[in-house]
Order: sequence, then structure tokens, then C-alpha cells
Amino acid sequence: MINYLNNHYQAFLSGFSRFTNNIGASMMMIVVIGITLCLPSAGILLIENAGQISKNIEHEAEISIFLEKNISKDQVDFIDLNLKKNSLIKKIHFEPKLIAWEKLQSKLDIGVNASVSTNPLPDAFFISLNTLDEIKIKKLINKLDGIDGIENIIVDGNWIKKLRIALSLGKLSVIFLAVLLIIVLLVVIGNTIRLQTLTYRDEIEVSKLIGATNAFIQRPFMYTGILYGLGGGIITISILKLSVFGLNTALVKLVSIFGTDIVFKDLSPKYYLYIVVLAMLIGLISSYISARNSIKRLKIYK
Amino acid sequence: MPGELVFVTGPSGAGKTTLLKLISALEKPSSGSIVFESQDLSQIKDKDIPILRRRFGMIFQDHKLLYDRDCFKNVALPLKINNMTKADTYRRVRAALDKVDLLQKERIMPITLSGGEQQRLAIARAIVSRPSILIADEPTANLDKEYAEEIMNIFYSFQQVGVTVIISTHELPSTKINFKRLQLNGGAIQNLISYDQLP
Repeated sequence: MINYLNNHYQAFLSGFSRFTNNIGASMMMIVVIGITLCLPSAGILLIENAGQISKNIEHEAEISIFLEKNISKDQVDFIDLNLKKNSLIKKIHFEPKLIAWEKLQSKLDIGVNASVSTNPLPDAFFISLNTLDEIKIKKLINKLDGIDGIENIIVDGNWIKKLRIALSLGKLSVIFLAVLLIIVLLVVIGNTIRLQTLTYRDEIEVSKLIGATNAFIQRPFMYTGILYGLGGGIITISILKLSVFGLNTALVKLVSIFGTDIVFKDLSPKYYLYIVVLAMLIGLISSYISARNSIKRLKIYK
Repeated sequence: MPGELVFVTGPSGAGKTTLLKLISALEKPSSGSIVFESQDLSQIKDKDIPILRRRFGMIFQDHKLLYDRDCFKNVALPLKINNMTKADTYRRVRAALDKVDLLQKERIMPITLSGGEQQRLAIARAIVSRPSILIADEPTANLDKEYAEEIMNIFYSFQQVGVTVIISTHELPSTKINFKRLQLNGGAIQNLISYDQLP
């Protein structure tokens, strides 16, 4: 076991020395990996934030219930009781027609002597739902429609549904983009490792001649690949962190102008761990395949 | 036989290098068999070849040294492959360098050494893992007569301590020592005779 670990330690040192021997090329490689992985990661960041917004909106989705104009107080109480009993309804807000009319007048700046002198507005209930399930909402509307005194029901959640579909499509696009970019990275890292095997051709040849196994020769290249991935992962995280910081700094100004409460949320540490592990895996796999093929193909002592 | 010194001779294209490659499992025979310590090398599995090669010390005409590292590291390479400890590596490399009279140059880069010294360094690398057979492919081909003799004397000294030495060469040594000559021609063994049977 100690021998095995020592073997890997020696291979890591060789891999690290190859990484640092050509530090310029190594830095370029990790920047390429970093920027390439940044694209799907930024997509995930955007989708996570958009998803968060849609989640918040979901809980505030409303149905507006407009009552008949000449409805009695008892009928209003009966409807209120019915709504309170329903488990799909999270929040109920009753807006009497007089208050609604006052609000409208103040908003539109309609004077007391304006041409519209009588209140055209009905009493209304505004309810928030626990769900966006179309079937459940339809059932609820049918149920409410049967109650006396209800004139009109307006569902206010279709655009959220569209947003959610757009988000799922966005997620699919990010996955597709990520797969494509991972293939690109596998090829780019693989090619760099292949060039490295040519640079270290003498060492490989001599090592093979004096009894080194292919695995022994391959190992330092694999560690170099892992280091490329690690460096690339760190670059990706740095770019994402900087972007989130920059966006939030800009949003602070918007908040002060519009008085809204918008914060661009950073990815959780779990995602950052995934990015680094994925980058290292890409480095490992591409260097393994590339070094294995190059070493196998190398003809020694001709 | 163990402890023998064998010179493989023959004109260019006779198959000297091919024979050495077959012995060291660098090539597989298309027919026939090569037996080393009761093991038929023609039947050897690919995964066992590196382990077999570690039992041979190989010396090449062009030395096959690594010019980006010093003499010590060149000689230490087979021990690194054998996963030897640092202390043992240090001791063995210095002993090997001492044997070929290069101890004082252990931290020098091989490119600064003369042809003879480079070949001695290659020998140090070949003997550092204490192989049972030394295989040398025309080790003196590119050397002056003086250096060539020096190198041959080192091989004789290994034979004296029981190491089997197989050397391919165009010319037999003038030194009166006990050896066998394997004459090849056109890819076939012409004869195998001992030193005292030579004309």
C-alpha cells in the first residue's frame, strides 16, 4: 500500500513538474478550460435565479373573483366561508367596491365632479393559490362558478406557466451546451497531452526500454490533466463569483432608483464543488485516453 | 550459461540487433522460441514484458540517456520504476556510478560528458538494478579505440562477478579473455564457438 501511494506521489510530482515546466502553456490551458466551463455554469446561475423568481411568484399567483353588483352581505359572507374552507387557497383578500372605487379615483386622479359619478366597480375577492396545477385550478373555478353571487372569475397564472416552460427549455439548452463544451474540452486537453507525450518522447522510450509499464508512464500525464482541470475549475468559480458580485453591485443602484428588492443569488457551494470535480474529471479522462493511445502507438527502439 | 560473455558478430544486416531485441522482448519471434530461465519469451504476455525487461540491463549504441536531467537522475530511473526507497536509490546509484568511475560527476548533465563517459553512464544505469543479464548493442561503435577498450574492460569486470554479458559487435576484442562468439549471417546462426576455438 505504501509502495502504491509512493508511486502515485512520485507520479504527481512528475505531473506537477510538467505542469510548471511550461507554465505559460499550462496557464493558457486552464484559462481555456475556465472560460469554456463558465458558459454552462453561467447558464445554471441564470436558471437558478430565474427559477427562484418563478417559485416566489408561484406562491403569489392569484384568482380574481368579481361579485354581482347588488350582492347582499350574507351572500358575501357565504362566499368568504366557502373560500376559507378550500385547501388550495392560501390567502384571501376581500376588496369592497367602495374601497376599490376610492383607490381607483386616487390613482387616476378622478375628481368628485368627474363625468363618472357612480361606482362602476363590484365587490371582489383576490385569492392566492398554493398550486399552479391546471387541473386543480380548473376544478376550483368550476366549484366557485356554481356559487350564487359570483359574476366573473379571472385566473392570473398563465404567464407563470409559460415562464416555467421557458425555464425547462433553458435547462435543456444548458445541458446540451454543457455536453458540447465538455466534448470540446476533452479534445483540447487530449491534444495538449498528446503533444506533451511527444515532448517527453525520449523519456517514455527509455522508460519503456528499461521496464516501465504503460500505467507508470501514463500516470504523470494524468496528474497533469487533473491539474489542468483543477486550475480551470478555479478560474470558472472566480469568473462566476466576480460576475455575481458585479451584477449585485449594479443592482444596488437599481434598488435605490426603483425601490425594489432584487438580489442576484450566488450558486451554492455544492454547485462549485460539482464544477471543480467535473473539470478535474474532464482533465483526467481526456489525459488518460490521450496518453494511453500515444504511449501505445509509440514505437520504441527502431 | 550464467556468467558467460558472448559476442554476437556478423556483417551489417546479419540480424545482430534483431537477436538482441528478441532476447529482451522488444520484438516477438515469428517462429521458433527463446527460452530464458525456463520461460518461453515467444509466449510471454504483453503485461509481463516490463517485468521481464527489469531483469535485463540494456546498453545501446546511442546511449539513450535523458539529457534534461543530471547523471544521478539518469542512473536512478530504473530504481524509480522499481519503486525503490530514496535511501536505497541514493546508495545504489552512487555505487553504480563509482563502478564506472563517474561518481565525481553525479550532478553533471550528460551532455557535457565525452562519448566514452556517456556510454559508461549508460552502463551504470544498466547495472544499477543488479540485472542477471547485460545486453549491449554495439556499445563501442561510436567510440575511439581507447574509449572502446575502457568500456569493454567494464563488461569483463561484470562477467568476472557472474553476470551474463551479451554484446553485439563488428569486431572481436584483442584482449585475451574467456568468451564465446555467436556468428550470424543472413538472419541465421552460423556457428557458436569459444575463444580458444577461434582461428
